[in-house]
Amino acid sequence: MGNQMTEMLKGTLEGIVLAILARRSAYGYEITAWLRDRGFSDIAEGTIYALLVRVEQRGFVDVEKVPSAKGPPRKVYSLNAKGREQLAEFWRTWSVLAERIEQLHHNDNQHNEGA
Amino acid sequence: MAAKWIETLVGSLDQKRQYKHHMARIEALPQPYRNAAEALQRYFMYQGGILDGDTLITMLGDFVELWERAVADGTPVRAIVGDDPVEFAETFLQAYSGKQWIDKERVRLRKAIDAAAGDNGEEKSA
Repeated sequence: MGNQMTEMLKGTLEGIVLAILARRSAYGYEITAWLRDRGFSDIAEGTIYALLVRVEQRGFVDVEKVPSAKGPPRKVYSLNAKGREQLAEFWRTWSVLAERIEQLHHNDNQHNEGA
Repeated sequence: MAAKWIETLVGSLDQKRQYKHHMARIEALPQPYRNAAEALQRYFMYQGGILDGDTLITMLGDFVELWERAVADGTPVRAIVGDDPVEFAETFLQAYSGKQWIDKERVRLRKAIDAAAGDNGEEKSA
């Protein structure tokens, strides 16, 4: 993934992770694996872990510790009511942003064709 | 040296006990995870500036768990840290930034600019 992609993704990653958790509860590794399967290949697991810590501290997710065969218990995250509100806000913001950027893109194309 | 510094910072005996426990868990990590974790931990000490012991202990506990999990899953160091370890370290610390010394300066800066711009938010022009 290019540097520009990484930079752009930074601001949206929280929303993306909340959207994943809206479908079903998951632990960190599952979320990273899911993202990698869908083309976000350069996302570090630690970055997702740090993000999950942050959304936990902001009260968007509930956490359950599930024992695992090896290593420490896995922390399973699920979206709570506050998290769903945050996600709805993210989608609203995303729609506005996407629409405005598309407009710029469209205008730019027209301008180039006209020139 | 970092340990001494942290102990003067960290108040209670319970916190000290937890701190030592977490540090022992880092030392117990197999290589190369131990080296990676220690290098990051060193960076946190310089960059972190987290003021209160509770936040520090929570951060360290989460940090150790991340590496113990990586060991158990056999996740390579690079897959945890990503291409840029500094970027990772900063992102990780940001999750705990609620009580950093810099937050006081952020509040101060906002107040100063509020005052300079005037209460109604409009700048006074000469």
